[in-house]
Amino acid sequence: MRDIAGTVACIDGNTFMVSDASGDVESSPATPVGLFAADTRFLSRWMLFVNGECMTALSVDDSQYYEVTFFVVPGAAVDYVEADLSAIRRRRIGPDLTESLTIFNYGEQDTELDVRLEVAADFADIFEIKFDIADKAGTHYTHVGPNELRLGYRRATYRREVVVTASEPAEFDPDGIRFKVRLRPGEQWSTRLQAAMLALRPDGVDLRSALRVQRPDESTLPTSLRAWVEAAPTLDTDSVALQQVYHRSLVDLAALRFAPLSLSGAAVPAAGLPWFMTLFGRDSLLTCLQTLPFTPTLAPPTLRILASLQGARSDDVLEEDPGRILHELRYGESAAFEEQPHSPYYGTVDASPLFVVLLDEYERWSGDTALVTELEQDARAALAWIDQYADLTSTGYIWYRRRNRATGLDNQCWKDSWDSISYADGRLPGFPRATCETQGYAYDAKIRGARLARTVWGDPDYADQLEREAASLYDRFNRDFWLEDRGYYALALDHDGTPVDSLSSNIGHLLWSGIVPPERARRVVEHLMGPALFSGWGVRTLAEGQRRYNPLGYHNGTVWPFDNSFIAWGLRRYGFTNEAGRIAESILSAATYFEGRLPEAFGGFDRDTTRYPVRYPTAGSPQAWSSGACMLLIRTMLGLDPHEDHLAVAPALPAAFGRIALLDIPGRWGKADAFARHRPDQP
Amino acid sequence: MTATNGFFERLTDAGQDPRFSNVCGSVRFDIRDGGHLEQWLLDIDHGRMRVTRSGGPATTVIQVSAQVADAMARGEVNGLAAITRGEILVDGDLSLALRIGRLFPREPEPPRRDDPDSGT
Repeated sequence: MRDIAGTVACIDGNTFMVSDASGDVESSPATPVGLFAADTRFLSRWMLFVNGECMTALSVDDSQYYEVTFFVVPGAAVDYVEADLSAIRRRRIGPDLTESLTIFNYGEQDTELDVRLEVAADFADIFEIKFDIADKAGTHYTHVGPNELRLGYRRATYRREVVVTASEPAEFDPDGIRFKVRLRPGEQWSTRLQAAMLALRPDGVDLRSALRVQRPDESTLPTSLRAWVEAAPTLDTDSVALQQVYHRSLVDLAALRFAPLSLSGAAVPAAGLPWFMTLFGRDSLLTCLQTLPFTPTLAPPTLRILASLQGARSDDVLEEDPGRILHELRYGESAAFEEQPHSPYYGTVDASPLFVVLLDEYERWSGDTALVTELEQDARAALAWIDQYADLTSTGYIWYRRRNRATGLDNQCWKDSWDSISYADGRLPGFPRATCETQGYAYDAKIRGARLARTVWGDPDYADQLEREAASLYDRFNRDFWLEDRGYYALALDHDGTPVDSLSSNIGHLLWSGIVPPERARRVVEHLMGPALFSGWGVRTLAEGQRRYNPLGYHNGTVWPFDNSFIAWGLRRYGFTNEAGRIAESILSAATYFEGRLPEAFGGFDRDTTRYPVRYPTAGSPQAWSSGACMLLIRTMLGLDPHEDHLAVAPALPAAFGRIALLDIPGRWGKADAFARHRPDQP
Repeated sequence: MTATNGFFERLTDAGQDPRFSNVCGSVRFDIRDGGHLEQWLLDIDHGRMRVTRSGGPATTVIQVSAQVADAMARGEVNGLAAITRGEILVDGDLSLALRIGRLFPREPEPPRRDDPDSGT
């Protein structure tokens, strides 16, 4: 898995290792390379030398996300033409790191080898790397044993350790391991290295030991991946590109699954490599929504863990309020000592309504009313949060204004960078702000909450109340956000109620939520598919012509596959099948330029200008909701929707796809198949 | 009376908590003060709370110092952060421990609706 130029990643949920192409790690404080678990870097140096020379990569096999094989030779790239020595490093990630090193002598001489592995551990928190902070408050320690090198870090009752061992005789010193090897011609030598990562309590209990129980032996991961792929529907299509992106997405979602200790083994999606390898409320909920027809097992544990950490009181640092669903959960030192607010941080306004949206959509697919009953109080609390805590100006909308002025987020919607919400002329609105798509989610949550109240919770009065609230939100929203002269919805309301008039992709989400009157939909769609927003590769986050538009602006002009997948879903909801198909075709074509792996975002340059989607410099990859985008686009093209106890299929394929069959789609109907052929009368 | 004692007495008095109507389980608090060990057992049966001084078996066991227990009872501790830094030790069902975090006080403050910031 290569994304940061030249790096190779090996992943198992929130445990991962990023190295260079020869397998070496040589980190600087600000680069996210090394061995990580639970937001902490356990190895910051891991460099192999043979007779004093570092290794050069010949090739890398990273076809399995949890295992990477590096074929290397000693010496710089110019020297190895006649190499007698070569080596294979086979790295596997799990609860711990294991690496098998084999060195071959294909020369004609007996050879004495000095095999050296340099090892260091800085125990940097992921936020120290992000913000380039090199000073740590605690102390590092080193223990050299006859058979191990133990590197540790301690700060009061917080302690993390990595223990490096080898299967062959070795000399251990504070900076690494040395092997003395003698190889005759044709001989080879191997050792198995292990780096065990420990999160130690003061009584010596390792918090990570439960993870080793979940991965009892080396076959656990391959077996679980096979089972994961087999449980998902089979895609049969004439499009090699679609086949590739589907398989890649499925495997990447498997790679990003991680099992929080509080869920006794059940897995939820981490958001993305390398900065977001943890639970995010919004990302996990949207990923589950995208993937319900394919990998529905992600949804119940995601809903459960978000419910168990739902806000219960008001706290200005965590930005917690009763009923609020969390934004981000971290396990590193900065969270442990409350230097960052991530234990958990609640600074999002969309996770709470999306929690209810997912609970309802999950039940529509699965028929699992038991979970809806189990999470009744949590869903009610999330709905109550919308009106009791999010309506900061008593105007009937979800607003946000950060209370944590030191480390909180300015923008608490999905476009959460500081300058993502602006007027067309570039001015930034004041606070609080109310973004449009969040009001759509609230509307949808109330409609869906009403359905659950009526059909599962047996509370028709509450259902009526929610529907009345939804109807009045619909009217209010269409009065206050609609810009009649422009023909689209304002991106947001400013603190005084002034519409923030930028043209943005956010209006596409409104179609998904159903808050757009049918007679206005056409004008919204014309904007989404017009040249200012649609690049040819997808809908840009911000339209050309807005002052802050920049095709490489993180939320101000790039194209986000996840964003587009929800827009396509919305287009189908309103009957714009050709437009939905156009988005599906463009995003899935873009994937082919990334070996089937859709990144978090790519450049918003015009397709006619660049002819390929331009890489966004720091885009996360793999990214859960980008992998999920492929699934949702397939759902959209096939027109899949649960209809009582069966699966409705209403296919509409764009011309790029002649035939798509999706077999064994799981749901309350058992397994069902969907078939689609492109009809020549469609564009 | 310590803050901890007050906390458990309030739980006993409250009896029923609708936020836990789907929760069943038991949590034992082992509170150490030097060589002294104080144990409280909280039983939750569909939201019905029962508190006893007991060292009996429980689905979740939480070990803390008396000092940390008092701070928790006063609502001053972020439980998850304290678990991560090794100040609160949890054995058994961790999800139940996270859920009962919401029993610890801190009265909800009404959101502030004053002084909007104007933009640029």
